[in-house]
Amino acid sequence: MFNEKIIDPAELRHWGGKIELYWIYTSGEAGDRFFKALKDEDKFIAAKCKKCGKVFFPPRMYCEFDFSETEYVEVSGEGCVRAFTVAKLDKNEKPLEKPEIYAIIDIDGTDGCMIHLLREVEPEEVQIGMKVKPVLKDKAEREGKITDILYFKPS
Amino acid sequence: MEVERVSGLKFHKKQDVAIVGAGMTTFKRRLNETGKELSFLAIKQALEEADMDLSDIEMVVMGSAPDAFDGLHMKGEYLLDGSGGSDRPYMRVFVGGGTGVFAPIAGYWHVASGLADVCLVVCEEKMSSCMPHPQSAFKYIWDPILDRPLAPNLIWIFALEMNRYMHVHNIKHEDIALVSVKNKANALDHPCAQLAEKITVEDVLNSEPMALPVRRLDVSPPSDGAAALIMVAPHIARQVTDNPVWVTGVGWALDTTMWTNRDLYFPRYVAEAAKMAYRMAHITDPRKEIDVAEPYDPFDYKELHHMEGLGLAKKGEAPILTREGVTARDGDLPCSPSGGLLGVGNPIAATMGVKAGELYWQLAYRAGKRQVAKEVTTGVCQAWGDLMQVGTVMVMSNKR
Ligand SMILES: [Zn+2]
Repeated sequence: MFNEKIIDPAELRHWGGKIELYWIYTSGEAGDRFFKALKDEDKFIAAKCKKCGKVFFPPRMYCEFDFSETEYVEVSGEGCVRAFTVAKLDKNEKPLEKPEIYAIIDIDGTDGCMIHLLREVEPEEVQIGMKVKPVLKDKAEREGKITDILYFKPS
Repeated sequence: MEVERVSGLKFHKKQDVAIVGAGMTTFKRRLNETGKELSFLAIKQALEEADMDLSDIEMVVMGSAPDAFDGLHMKGEYLLDGSGGSDRPYMRVFVGGGTGVFAPIAGYWHVASGLADVCLVVCEEKMSSCMPHPQSAFKYIWDPILDRPLAPNLIWIFALEMNRYMHVHNIKHEDIALVSVKNKANALDHPCAQLAEKITVEDVLNSEPMALPVRRLDVSPPSDGAAALIMVAPHIARQVTDNPVWVTGVGWALDTTMWTNRDLYFPRYVAEAAKMAYRMAHITDPRKEIDVAEPYDPFDYKELHHMEGLGLAKKGEAPILTREGVTARDGDLPCSPSGGLLGVGNPIAATMGVKAGELYWQLAYRAGKRQVAKEVTTGVCQAWGDLMQVGTVMVMSNKR
């Protein structure tokens, strides 16, 4: 009987179930400042460690390496491609109608990167090190979310 | 090398372990700050008290209860950068509500084993993220086939336990309510307190019924917060402080998962954990040898329950000691001088700040207005959790 292979759970007494919870995620002291500046002022905020000078992007209220406090600095939001992929399938492994390019972008003047979409460029044209800049939503439509940045494009 | 047999374990202790600093955030609803930021704030205080900075920290233990609160799978990894864990050995431990004392136990074994001379222990809980209510998350700790179809609420289990405890020893709700009155008043002297207030027994008995006999003021509130401890080897302790507090015993134990088969009137899980910790600390008569205690008090009857499990009172005797003022801050056996979870708040794992943290502050004579009246040498702190069946116990002393 230990070799039995039941592949249809309906053959057994069984119970369905799901975990019905939802969450309110907040972005913290530093994150809140970042999103407000992006939404209301078209600005990109980073945070510079008062001790070691490392510049975190997106900003944080502390330096994770020496636990010193940080100060907020403004950066352009432009940067260059550190790595990229051309996604053909979505998160459920269904083919995407149009392949999307996802890139890790080194943000100028910071020690940080951000992941975002690359558009207005063909996959075969993308190169590591390529300069890119953010394209923002119309101000009236912004919500203070990461999607207020629509995508990055070659600059 | 010292080798001790402890409750069936062969325990090799490479070096003694001292606590030299503690910190905690205020406990309240803190929707804005992330769990990482809360952890950072608590750690900064602990480092300051220990006169250290992050570069002195060799290893980090993070304690945080279910992922379901923050809504992040693998929360320990998420919390790493605010926990001072980057680029060093880091681990998350959790045994539900027992985490607040289990995390320092894990810190203890990091140092006692000789693997680290300086270990940072940080505990964080952000319950306010969880919707529709943090309570909803507890629905999913029940057995999905036997219990969950009955739509239980977490308070039920405590109500059943409290009912059994009251029945076996013929204890009145009035006697239990005194714990809530005492702890909420003690919390008036705690700068981090969420629910400090002067209340009366009548206030407790007339408060909103939740699952009888449990009423609103019998219960601690959900909150957000973080706490941190710095645990070090003797040669480090000598460098940074004149009054280190030594961890002299640790213990933990779990009772059966089938909560319906448990001895509801007596917490065997605490008694077993305490036996292990006392054996290690060479304590044979806890009622005489323990000067101050921080038993886990998420509910008022639980402080009494746990005092009995810790051997600080005979079975059924804890309410009498409470009524006689023995457990008051100026009594012979002060219990929860911090104000406990009932008064300061209950951000699950972060209650380390009012249990292990408070015991350290009391024994280091750093508790300020909360300092107990009597002279103190040895104390015990304890937490409880998992599926209501884990006991975690730590004994500390200001004498080595
Ligand atoms: Zn730094």
